[in-house]
Amino acid sequence: MQPDPGGFAYASPDIEHLMARYQQADPVASAALIKLLSPQLYRFFAGPMGSKTDAEDMLQDAWLRIHRVRHTYRQGEPVLPWVYAIARCVRVDDYRKRHRIASRETCVDVLPEPSVSKDERACLPRFEELVAALPESQREVVTMLKVDGLSIEEVARAMSSTVGAVKQKAHRAYERLRKLLDQIAQPARKGAAQ
Amino acid sequence: MTCRDMDGIMSSHSGNSLLPPEAAEHIVGCERCRSLVRLLHETSEIPAPSESHLKRIQKGILENLRPVRPLPPSRIFLFSFALIFLSVVAVGAMRLGMNGWSVLSMEQKIAVFATLAASAVLLALSMVRQMVPGSKHGVSPTTLPIAILLVLILVIAAVFRSEEESAFVTNGLMCIRNGLEYSIPTALLFWMLLRRGAMLFPKLIGAAAGGFSGLIGLSVLEINCSNLNVYHILVWHWGVILITSLAGVVLGAVVEYVDRYRDQKNSF
Repeated sequence: MQPDPGGFAYASPDIEHLMARYQQADPVASAALIKLLSPQLYRFFAGPMGSKTDAEDMLQDAWLRIHRVRHTYRQGEPVLPWVYAIARCVRVDDYRKRHRIASRETCVDVLPEPSVSKDERACLPRFEELVAALPESQREVVTMLKVDGLSIEEVARAMSSTVGAVKQKAHRAYERLRKLLDQIAQPARKGAAQ
Repeated sequence: MTCRDMDGIMSSHSGNSLLPPEAAEHIVGCERCRSLVRLLHETSEIPAPSESHLKRIQKGILENLRPVRPLPPSRIFLFSFALIFLSVVAVGAMRLGMNGWSVLSMEQKIAVFATLAASAVLLALSMVRQMVPGSKHGVSPTTLPIAILLVLILVIAAVFRSEEESAFVTNGLMCIRNGLEYSIPTALLFWMLLRRGAMLFPKLIGAAAGGFSGLIGLSVLEINCSNLNVYHILVWHWGVILITSLAGVVLGAVVEYVDRYRDQKNSF
């Protein structure tokens, strides 16, 4: 999982300039900013295991909020934590909405488990599958650090948290991932020994 | 190097640069870290939004594009909060009298008012930072109001002693009414200032604003009320902050609900 080299994580000064022009209602800068930031934000909303439609809805919602609070961006400050703080708020709201809807829904029947081929079982799980097993706050930290390429400082700002707390969450997430990887590797090792 | 040290390196390490030599050495010998590094660096298909969707967002934004004036610097908001705090406490002290101040010992004055001042500064900073998304926080905005409530309980319990009191409830109700009389109008003033910011999590901002206005009520009561019974102060004076903080959370929840409804109507 690597940040996109062509993405905005490597072009912060330009983004700050675009953001300032967006505040001054420059249509070219606004369009460029949307084009530049959207793929990264979409990745943040889509992963892990998120659906494409949900991610597109959240992306739209995020831009609506960014547009509404664009006056709160201060020139000279980093844009990424500002944008991700808003994106995180959208994700939290979406999570709550989903939770509310799920609590009202009644399951009428037990759905059959999808059949999995032997080859698929043998494959190691993908990053998204393992990260989906983490608690929400740890998943958020790992996604921002490893998928979106933010620094610890930027993640702390985006989450309205401290650097120490983010490091602690990352450490817990890595420990959990190690355990999950261990659990997956053990049967494979036993099989190989037999 | 331990696995914990590896965690720090993995967090600060961007995917496209080489690991430091000691980290590389560690993963050679540690299978758990090796498979974790492999997992975190695994490249998968990167999803992207559709062009038509991006165009729709661009169209929606360009249609409503107007120049905006950036938010004034934080120091202006901090100054406004400080001015409101001091003015309201001064008015309260003048109107209700300073009987409490005259009966407090020097140690009690220092302990109580230093804690109140420090709490007010921390809450004001937290509110100003919450107005701007992505600001640096020294203490998490979720933890701060709770920590302040707890510290105040500890300070009050340590500084004051239990005393005989004949009309505990009658005296107390008068105090809580006096405290809320100053807290509620100032909370509304703070709310109007805070609405100029982003308000991403209105319940958190509400708790901070409620706590801050509660500190005003508590300060007025500490200056005015000559009752030094620890239980009176804990229940009726501290109770002002508890009530205003909870009211702030409730008001925040209402704002959140209204914003959500407005978002549903205003989508592009």
